[in-house]
Amino acid sequence: MTDYVSTLSIDIGLIGPELALLIAAAVILLLIFTRKADRFATAIGLIGLVVSMVLTVRQWDVKVGGFSGMVTVDQFAVLFKLLFAVASGLTLLLAERYFHAKHIARPEFTALLLVSTMGMMVMAGTTDLIVIFLGLEIMSVPLYVMAGFNRRSLESNESGIKYFIMGAFATGFLLMGIALIYGASETTDLRRIVTDFSYIATNAKLFLFTGAALMMVGFGFKVGAVPFHSWIPDVYQGAPTPVTAFFSVAPKAAGFAALLRIFAYGLKDLGALSDVWWILAVLTMTVGNILALRQENVKRMLAYSSIAHAGYMLVALAVGGADAASAVIFYLIGYTLFNLGGFTVVALLETRAGSRADFSEMAGLSKAHPYLTATLALFMFSLSGFPPTVGFFGKFYLFSAAVKGGFIWLTVIGVMNSFVSVYYYLRVVKVSYFDQIEGRFVPAPLSAGVLFVLIVTAVGTLGFGLFPDNVLEIARRAIQAFA
Amino acid sequence: MTIDAVIFVISAVVAIFGAAMMIAQRNPVASVLYLILSLIAQAVIYVQLGALFVGIMLVIVYAGAIMVLFLFVIMLLNLRGSEELGKPSGRVSRFTKYVITLLFFVELIFVIRGVALPPAPELVTNQPDAFGSVKAVSMLLFTKYLYPFQLTGVLMLIAVVGAVVIARREHPGELPDDTAAESTLAETPKEGTKA
Amino acid sequence: MADYLFLIPLLPLIGFLINGLLIGRLPKPVISLVGCLSVGGALLLALLAFFELKGLPVEARVMQQVLFAWIPSGSFHVDIAFLLDPLSAVMILVVTGVGFLIHVYSVGYMHHDEGYGRYFAYLNLFTFSMLMLVLANNFLLMFVGWEGVGLCSYLLIGFWFEKKSASDAGKKAFIVNRIGDFGFLLGMFIIFWQVGSLDFATVMEKAPTAFSFGGGLITAACLLLFVGAIGKSAQIPLFVWLPDAMEGPTPVSALIHAATMVTAGVYMVVRSNVLYMMAPDALLVVAIIGAATALFAATIGLVQNDIKRVLAYSTVSQLGYMFLACGVAAFSAGIFHLMTHAFFKALLFLGAGSVIHAMSGEQDIRKMGGLRKYIRITYLTFLLATLAIAGIPGMSGFFSKDEILWQAFSSGHGSPIFWAIGLVTALLTTFYMFRLVYLTFHGTERMDTETKHHLHESPRSMTVPLMILGVLSVVGGWVGLPAVFGATNYFEHWLDPVTAKGSELVSESVHASGGGNAGLEMTLMFVTVLLVIGAWMLARYMYVRHTETATRVREKAGGLYTVLLNKYYIDEIYGFLIVRPFVGLSTFFWKIIDVLVIDGFVNGLARLGALSSDLLRFVQTGRVRSYATLFAAGVVLVIGFLILR
Repeated sequence: MTDYVSTLSIDIGLIGPELALLIAAAVILLLIFTRKADRFATAIGLIGLVVSMVLTVRQWDVKVGGFSGMVTVDQFAVLFKLLFAVASGLTLLLAERYFHAKHIARPEFTALLLVSTMGMMVMAGTTDLIVIFLGLEIMSVPLYVMAGFNRRSLESNESGIKYFIMGAFATGFLLMGIALIYGASETTDLRRIVTDFSYIATNAKLFLFTGAALMMVGFGFKVGAVPFHSWIPDVYQGAPTPVTAFFSVAPKAAGFAALLRIFAYGLKDLGALSDVWWILAVLTMTVGNILALRQENVKRMLAYSSIAHAGYMLVALAVGGADAASAVIFYLIGYTLFNLGGFTVVALLETRAGSRADFSEMAGLSKAHPYLTATLALFMFSLSGFPPTVGFFGKFYLFSAAVKGGFIWLTVIGVMNSFVSVYYYLRVVKVSYFDQIEGRFVPAPLSAGVLFVLIVTAVGTLGFGLFPDNVLEIARRAIQAFA
Repeated sequence: MTIDAVIFVISAVVAIFGAAMMIAQRNPVASVLYLILSLIAQAVIYVQLGALFVGIMLVIVYAGAIMVLFLFVIMLLNLRGSEELGKPSGRVSRFTKYVITLLFFVELIFVIRGVALPPAPELVTNQPDAFGSVKAVSMLLFTKYLYPFQLTGVLMLIAVVGAVVIARREHPGELPDDTAAESTLAETPKEGTKA
Repeated sequence: MADYLFLIPLLPLIGFLINGLLIGRLPKPVISLVGCLSVGGALLLALLAFFELKGLPVEARVMQQVLFAWIPSGSFHVDIAFLLDPLSAVMILVVTGVGFLIHVYSVGYMHHDEGYGRYFAYLNLFTFSMLMLVLANNFLLMFVGWEGVGLCSYLLIGFWFEKKSASDAGKKAFIVNRIGDFGFLLGMFIIFWQVGSLDFATVMEKAPTAFSFGGGLITAACLLLFVGAIGKSAQIPLFVWLPDAMEGPTPVSALIHAATMVTAGVYMVVRSNVLYMMAPDALLVVAIIGAATALFAATIGLVQNDIKRVLAYSTVSQLGYMFLACGVAAFSAGIFHLMTHAFFKALLFLGAGSVIHAMSGEQDIRKMGGLRKYIRITYLTFLLATLAIAGIPGMSGFFSKDEILWQAFSSGHGSPIFWAIGLVTALLTTFYMFRLVYLTFHGTERMDTETKHHLHESPRSMTVPLMILGVLSVVGGWVGLPAVFGATNYFEHWLDPVTAKGSELVSESVHASGGGNAGLEMTLMFVTVLLVIGAWMLARYMYVRHTETATRVREKAGGLYTVLLNKYYIDEIYGFLIVRPFVGLSTFFWKIIDVLVIDGFVNGLARLGALSSDLLRFVQTGRVRSYATLFAAGVVLVIGFLILR
């Protein structure tokens, strides 16, 4: 890649996955005028996602850049794009049922979801900080709207507004960080920062540090690192549950994609960041776990749990190196599946009238829905890291990378934290299996789409736990793309 | 002190003053006016730096179009004074905020003073093809930065769609009010299959 | 060769899948058939495997079956593979053998329960997990089984979840076990870090070069693994969950909390014996904790009145014995006791289940008495098991217990103190076990008439397993006759291939001193037997003789009255001088240490979590501006940290 000069280069083929989503979104928006969008929105969205996935998979063995170095297609990008598309597709299937039950279904939702997914793909498929930033914004703006999508619900409105304000606040810091990095290195391209690193570091080290700190903050906000996490519980609880499910996996994965690109690749030679990550990781997992202990609402509990999981994943950034980076990618893949699965069950229960997804509502679940409860238990076991679920291997790889890197104390704190987390995850299992219900349990309707989501997530949670090596191998290959 | 430096200091102070006053106001109209002041001062700095195009855009687009739109909205909604802004923060929390902000600025000053910046290049504002001119900016925008430039278009589009979704009237898929929602919600579970 | 090994765990898994997936749709006979046959089939295969292994020359007694590479990538290689060597062969025989009998027993015991299908599904899942645990050829797969049995234990303790105490007990077991797992996991990390593999064979082979003998790392790894064992095998200080676990159905207590799962810790220590031999300090800790637990639990057992709780404390105590054996590097003695204990303790629990069945659910021995007339088979088998656990010569418990005591005395890692503690424990065990027998089966009938009216012997499906286990409790020890009798200790030689590598590491062989001092060994054995019989007689005196005399005297009155009074007087003094302090001490242990200190600690941790949770919730105000303040504070700190470093 030597074309940093101002030459026009248009490589439409490289942005096929993003374009497919954009086109699908545009078709839906246009159909709204014909009043047919209601019926076709989900289908069009799914087609767009499938096309996008196919185009992505075809890029697996490619490693090229395009658009004057603004677009990078490598295995890292491909893997993350696939992850986003899968999360998005599952959310779409889940949302269809939920939104109809809650009577807030509107075709624009699909368009927003697709564009948001496209933003994530943009973030993953570049080494340029400006494009990462634009991708982040394209991802975030639809998320703000989706959080407030239930316009009649005050909680949902509050969720959208809070997310918007805090998001704008965080964006300010992120942008300033990028500006400082640019000031230090006179480029926004991470590849040039890598090649000219020693030169840049001798001239403007303080700018680099401050810029790195501000970018940590900006992306830390997206992944929910403490102390930039405070929006998460309120936003997660208020947003419609399928949206929350999406929030808890996709933007988090996108945030980690950007963090890995920037800190495991671009600024990997900048020392001293490891200590900051160390502190952030410990704070994040501890605060997340401790607060989750006392929640009475399952959605809010899962919100805190997602903070705790972000904490485990931040361990990889403190440790650094290819092992830790591939471990965190593996973790993200697993986490996407079982967290989405867990939220799916919650969303399903919430489609019952008057439900708020409190713990107490789960009593007697196992009698009414034995298989559903077994699936829920599987997700909870995976969240708490039991073998042979994928959740166990995620933690296992992550912590063994940490031990190998000499981070014994971090590992001890991490393992102790995951021990604490067992308490509240098992509470879900305990309540749904062992607690008595007053009166009759109102069953929740199960649609084909939701069933599909449950099957995919459950099979993935168990299957990747039984055969984790292939996934890990793919994650390793993705990380090798940095070299 | 050269004349350049004097202009810079004045416009920088005005820009910061305008931004600070904008936050401090409880009257939205006054806030908007202060923001315009700040933007114009910033435009001066851009022009001074040779970024003529960006400076002019700032005045035309932000100060001109967007802020006028804001004013219209505020007037249409008839937001007059400091109504409904909620309880002000307590003394302790306000103090904390000042301290944190102050610390942040101290850190920034430390960082900026700690880096040896290269000397500023000669001002080149009067050369049409040079850095910062319309032609130079558009050359970059349509070649090297074509992709990000198009992405901003997507961002605008989806922001508009989002605004419409939040503001537009009820859609057939939605129900007009909560009472109706309750009554139909009660019927939905029946068709479901047993899990 | 060994290509059918995978079928051994697979059969119970299939049983679990059939019973679990078709829950509520199968008639009871089908459920029992599936449940029992799957384990029975596993037992047959285990026997087949055992004899095939036995047919091999001693050095070649290892069968491995690699099913597939589980995690083959990079430096981290783990297979799904099974390892059958003399050690795991003994374990699978115990698990499938005792497991099969308990499955059959459950058919009768659980017959009237609504959760019949669920029960058998869990039980099969447990058998599967336990077999995975003992057949695994690497630490990671073993950990999978380890977690699996923990999960099943949780599910089965809380089986009658309508009872709050049952679901609380399940939770307690689970949480305490997780503390142990945390240690196991960290120990495993250290091993992998140093050796680069989790495969048993590779770890044991490379450990002597990868670790320095007696170094800090190997000691840490062994101690961490032992923390796992402490949790699973209910040793001080993590034993609190086991007595509570008696809330589960009685066959479950017999299978999981007496015969198999709780011995997993012992198995794991023996499996890693090479590592432990390299860490003498860790070995000493194992011995001390084992001995302390053995004594401590036995004293508590003296004052319990619930039939199952007596047995529960007895189990804790006997597990302590096994760890004592491991701690003095007598690994084969530990496994030998594990095996005999599995027979007689399972029998005791099943007998207790039969008693409870007969007594319409009553578990308090003060409300029993004189039952031997009504439930003859139960009584006789229970008595056999009691003789075995007491170590009466000729019974299985005698040989295994004697082996441990002798090793504790004579081994290079042992000491007379360990022997003395073991001996005292043996006496206490004899005493409380006979107290249990006499209060339950002898003496006056203290139950109410309603219960008495319903007294009946249990059905055939329950008594037949009792009888088979009774036979095993007697003959089970004959495979390990002490060398001092001039017989060959088959059992010890059987395990030689497993323990040999470990003993090579230490210059003075563990067993060398044993052979040379036959006279001393005989003397100690004789002393032990005499004292044990003394303890038995004491129990008999206090709980049979005394009460019988008392009633006869009251009928006849007259001249014997003074003698009786005198006896009564002696009894009082005895009670004042010996029983009271003993009761006091054991109540102290039970009430203060167990309830207050340990429970208090566990509860305190939970309360600390809750408290900090409440404190942190203050920050979560719901106001955006306080969120932004926190955020900005974070920004300032991160930047400050980086630039001021």
